[in-house]
Amino acid sequence: MKVNLDDPNLTAFALGELSVDDHAKMADAIADSPEAQSYVAETQQFARLLRAEYEADRQQPSPRSPFVVRMEEERRASWRYQWGSLAAALAIFGVIAAVAFTAIQRSGTLSKLLTDNPKPATPQESASETILEMEAPATPGPLLALQPPKPSGTAAPEFVEEPKLADKSLGYDQRQKPALDAAAGKYGGLALNPSAPPPPMPMKRAYVAGAGETPEAEPPSRYRQDFNTATYDKVEENPFLPAATNPLSTFSIDVDTASYANVRRFINSGSLPPKDAVRVEEMINYFTYDYREPEGDKPFSIDVDATACPWDSSHRLLRIGLKGREVANEKRPASNLVFLLDVSGSMTPAERLPLVKQAMRLLVDKLTEKDHVAIVIYAGGSGLALKSTTGDQKEKILRALEELQAGGSTNGAEGIELAYKVAADNFINGGVNRVILATDGDFNIGVTNQGDLIRLIEAKAKTGVFLSVLGVGTDNLKDSTMQKLADKGNGNYAYLDSVDEARKVLVQQINGTLMTIAKDVKIQVEFNPARVASYRLIGYEKRLLRKEDFNNDKVDAGEIGAGHTVTALYEIVPAGAGATDPATSVPPVDPLKYGTNTTNTTNGSGEVVTVKLRHKKPDGETSELSERSFTDNGSKFENAAPDLKFAAAVAEFGMLLRDSQYKGKGTFGAVIEWAQEGKGRDTAGYRAGFIEMARKAQSLKPREG
Amino acid sequence: MQSVGLEAEKMNGQQMDALLRRFERPLLQYATRILGDSDRARDVVQETFVKLQDEKRQQLDDAPAKWLFTVCRNGALNICRKEKRMTYLDQELLETRESEQPDPYEKLEAKEASGFLLKILDTLPPRQQEVLQLKFQNDLSYQEISEITQLSVSNVGVMIHNALKTLRQRYGYASRDFLPFAPRTVS
Repeated sequence: MKVNLDDPNLTAFALGELSVDDHAKMADAIADSPEAQSYVAETQQFARLLRAEYEADRQQPSPRSPFVVRMEEERRASWRYQWGSLAAALAIFGVIAAVAFTAIQRSGTLSKLLTDNPKPATPQESASETILEMEAPATPGPLLALQPPKPSGTAAPEFVEEPKLADKSLGYDQRQKPALDAAAGKYGGLALNPSAPPPPMPMKRAYVAGAGETPEAEPPSRYRQDFNTATYDKVEENPFLPAATNPLSTFSIDVDTASYANVRRFINSGSLPPKDAVRVEEMINYFTYDYREPEGDKPFSIDVDATACPWDSSHRLLRIGLKGREVANEKRPASNLVFLLDVSGSMTPAERLPLVKQAMRLLVDKLTEKDHVAIVIYAGGSGLALKSTTGDQKEKILRALEELQAGGSTNGAEGIELAYKVAADNFINGGVNRVILATDGDFNIGVTNQGDLIRLIEAKAKTGVFLSVLGVGTDNLKDSTMQKLADKGNGNYAYLDSVDEARKVLVQQINGTLMTIAKDVKIQVEFNPARVASYRLIGYEKRLLRKEDFNNDKVDAGEIGAGHTVTALYEIVPAGAGATDPATSVPPVDPLKYGTNTTNTTNGSGEVVTVKLRHKKPDGETSELSERSFTDNGSKFENAAPDLKFAAAVAEFGMLLRDSQYKGKGTFGAVIEWAQEGKGRDTAGYRAGFIEMARKAQSLKPREG
Repeated sequence: MQSVGLEAEKMNGQQMDALLRRFERPLLQYATRILGDSDRARDVVQETFVKLQDEKRQQLDDAPAKWLFTVCRNGALNICRKEKRMTYLDQELLETRESEQPDPYEKLEAKEASGFLLKILDTLPPRQQEVLQLKFQNDLSYQEISEITQLSVSNVGVMIHNALKTLRQRYGYASRDFLPFAPRTVS
């Protein structure tokens, strides 16, 4: 009997799915068909392979914990479950996981967070070092030449946990704790705590460079301690801090906007975003505000204004606005761009690689013959899909883009190495040198450990090549990874949820996205205790710096692009105003026994704050200081500038989505009202989009009108 | 599950733990495929396990997998209905339409092969992916798969047969040692 190889029963036979009788019949039938026998054998072999693949995949811990955590929470709430050993297992990471839960729900990275323990050098780490060395002599960018002299004698600080950083991260913690700690004098009045920095946390040296390597002292970076901990992604909101004992507030600027687009995606798809997907400063900074143009050749202007806080009228809302110098498109210096595109299998859906291609087409359209574009792709392997090509050869660039297809798994690290190498090979002195990484962030081959990836990018950033990260995709969007990559790579991070968003980031704001006009921009605000009882910085939780870091040029901070505006809001409890809402009140602080040194300052003046800024030129290593004081004239919210009303609306919207304890009396309804009053000309329609989104959020929120 | 002495006894923590470990990820993948959204999938899987808590062990008898996948599937489909999405089941096209994706290609070295097969799997029509997952990840029989998916046993057989055939072809094709676009350089 001739066996039909396309008979489903043959497969069923191979898989042992036939009844005893049918099985025997089939066995007879194939007895004299070597073809059928080999088909069966192959099927069985393939089934084994498939099982093994599924099993290997199942062993991947990634999606496991988020909802175990939620179940744990439910269990705790109701006490009706018996969990036995599971509960014990959960106890180990219960606290961490519980706080990280929402972030993870969004990013699905718990497994990484849990497994990302700091670890000794791996081959990849060494590899990243080697590449750096290789690139440096090849085409030294201006930054390399300008780097400060490297102290020698210290062993490879790249992987050494620096005590200084340890106490810095301690500093973060203190800031994030309730202001109660202030009573303990930790925030020290200026004179109270003359020289008692927190003791360095003992850190073991995890890695020592191979003998003979040139030790390279690395400037301290902000988050060294943070990126390997699960608590990183939890946004613990800044508390109110008393101005008397804690007059300085220091943070790095942030021009990322990804959180806004991501929040919008959630709301448009009919659900409110997880709390920790909402980074209020990124929401506020999504919008451009009408600040003054910088004077002379200053890279940016500083604007300060204030109004009554709309969600608590006894408080004041202080706005600090920076505006980066506009650069006309024709005046943008020559650009050397390397598109680093993730073409792995996960990028297949329309809103991923196809959207990225559309975005890139928009960008390519804006380029001219002085610009250069290369395309590096990565999946299981990486390759140069287009060698560096001038911007007038659009057809060639577009054709190369067109031919890209998604498939395979992701080896991000290899692609990053290659992209930076191409960028270095084509380095334009005084030009824009930038790698534009577009990915869903699902790095699953090669260096997958988030910490290692970030270290890799950090090393690459020193070559003078900046980074833009374009995030796409939904369910496996590794938001936190990308935010950190951009942060470490002297870059910006935008989330693309639509072609419109791509147009905003890559066309309308092309110069801001591509052209960094000042780097390591830090803000330090000094509050006058005579005018301010306490204050709270809204958002920027992940950008806080210690007050000492402000004047320390080795401490990395955010970059500002041409035409970018950066906005920070403070909620201020004026001196003398009774704190009415328990959520915003500061625990009383005992009077300082030894007094403070504020007596000889200008606290009798009407000044509320002095805002100080430090920045470096894009290729500089020494910072410049700018300063501006502000006296509040007590204006009412009704009379506030429309722009400020709008910023207040966005801030309150973010706090409502976070269900913040500081949201005050605001409602979605009020947010919509303020936003409408503050809509202004809104030529691009972004503010109208916000109002629409707020309406939608209002309808999604169960119990609010 | 071992048989138990006490009637109507509920799961204890250890048993729950074992089931979680074994089935949580498969269920998440399964629900995600139906819902197209991993957040909702998590909710569905959570509910499934919450229901499992209250389920009498006897009813689970020897087939916790079948029980879990059935409950999970129904939960996911309920959400589809509630949210009036074009559901998985309504899409008759899904059965025949190949995903409109290019065949993946990859330079495969033995070590890198891991995980790659699953990527090709994503190019199959969703229902084929579903039955393959039930069969090869969760060791369910054609009969059990038929009960979970409401397809006939012979239908399940045809789908698995076709899916394996396609998969093998693509795998063989994809394993070939070339990259269609890289590191070729456009010049």
